[in-house]
Amino acid sequence: MLRDALLVAGKDLRIEWRSRVATNQILPVALMILLLFGFALDPDSPVLDRATPGLFWVAVLVVAVLAVERSFSLEAGDGVRDALRLSGLDPAGVFLGKFLALAAQLAAVQVVLIVGVVLLFGRDLAGLPLLVATGLAANAGIAAAGTLYGVLAAGLRVRETLLPLLLLPVLAPVLIAATRAMEHALDGAPADGWPWFNLLAVFALTYTGFGTLAFGPLLEDS
Amino acid sequence: MSGDMTYILAGWGITLVALAGYTTILVLRGRRLSRQVPPERRRWTS
Amino acid sequence: MTSPHPASTASPATRVLGVVCLAGMAVLVFLAFVASPKDAVQGDLVRLLYIHPALAWTAYLACFVAFGASIQHLRRRTQGSDVLAHAAVEVGTVLTALTLATGSIWGRPTWGVYWVWDARLTSTAMLFLLLLGYLAIQRIDAPPQVRSRRAAIVGVLLVPNVILVHQSVEWWRTLHQDATLARRDFDFATSDLFMFTLVFSVVVMTLVFVWLLMHRFRVGWLELQADEVWLDEAIDARRAEGAVT
Repeated sequence: MLRDALLVAGKDLRIEWRSRVATNQILPVALMILLLFGFALDPDSPVLDRATPGLFWVAVLVVAVLAVERSFSLEAGDGVRDALRLSGLDPAGVFLGKFLALAAQLAAVQVVLIVGVVLLFGRDLAGLPLLVATGLAANAGIAAAGTLYGVLAAGLRVRETLLPLLLLPVLAPVLIAATRAMEHALDGAPADGWPWFNLLAVFALTYTGFGTLAFGPLLEDS
Repeated sequence: MSGDMTYILAGWGITLVALAGYTTILVLRGRRLSRQVPPERRRWTS
Repeated sequence: MTSPHPASTASPATRVLGVVCLAGMAVLVFLAFVASPKDAVQGDLVRLLYIHPALAWTAYLACFVAFGASIQHLRRRTQGSDVLAHAAVEVGTVLTALTLATGSIWGRPTWGVYWVWDARLTSTAMLFLLLLGYLAIQRIDAPPQVRSRRAAIVGVLLVPNVILVHQSVEWWRTLHQDATLARRDFDFATSDLFMFTLVFSVVVMTLVFVWLLMHRFRVGWLELQADEVWLDEAIDARRAEGAVT
């Protein structure tokens, strides 16, 4: 199963490397969102400062929806999904593979956003262990839920509107927990933030587990 | 207290109207669909 | 009348139940507005409490029915379980919307605001969105088995999602207590009639839910049958064309 996962992840990432859609189109959206927030909120007032963790994670969520749509549009071509089914790959492995590829892309987005936050909003980084752990756990949760709901909306003309409707309410706990954790980290009180990390971990484990189980039946008929 | 009554009537009113409305829509849908289906196939249990 | 079933979704059972529901609602309105007195603390506003908790309870009941039916569909792939889940979600959506509306309308005169960001209200709002998502996926342009399977996955995840949202909002709001936003609880002087009316409202609303669910299930079943009838007739017409030449 793991071998299949790495195979699929490698395929997705290689396609990304060659087409550069994420780097050329999705990453700039993330930066643009930061800029838009900068325009909307007065940079000189403390409002932007206090809102930074929330804005960061909202940007991540918006970009995640785009990334999930991209991830499943890769398989929308003629016969690609049949080929995937007939290839004999373990469906759980396919899930984990797409999950890993998505998580990797989201990690890249987060790094860029963090740099953007430091540069554009003038925030100093603090509580790095908590920040990194939060990033990883939130990533895993978003990627797992995204892969699962992505396949539910895959291959449909209404995918672009159905996916956000399905995915964003599901990701609300991630937004709440990740924002609180980042607030505590940046405010210099990371001890308060670690319980939120636990919630993120539970979310990630729940969706990774469920996704691995549910992917098989979903893949065979899509 | 009459100010409160507005809210109470609004709450109850919306509820009753919505439930009655949904019921009506449901019953009318049921009748329309029933006419399109032969009698033997109309029930899940038959 | 030779046809075994009438041209509607009614049956002797639903007719009886329907009459009971109407009578129950009439009694409830009487109890809520006439028989029960103003509350010592809440005043007349307590009358709204005779409808809001009942709506909330039946909304959650609908979700559990949808949850169970979805699990059953994933296990057995039957059409009946899919139709039941869909019916429960649709009725549940109406009930959830009403729960939010009555909660808001009660909140305004009680707390002065239409909305508070507490766990209960927020997770009910999220539930509403999750239910809309389920309804959306039941309308996708895909083969019926594919559609039902995907909808069932969404249905199974309804309950875990609401639990996750509820917990995260609960921790978020209770750990960040503003002095000005003290616990928005309410006090009421309980009387026997109050408790009775409350329980009665829950019973009546549950019966209304069952009635709506039965009709909506039958409507869903008829939709399936109507599609198959249409398909059969189209195939027969095609065959008839072939036979003529």
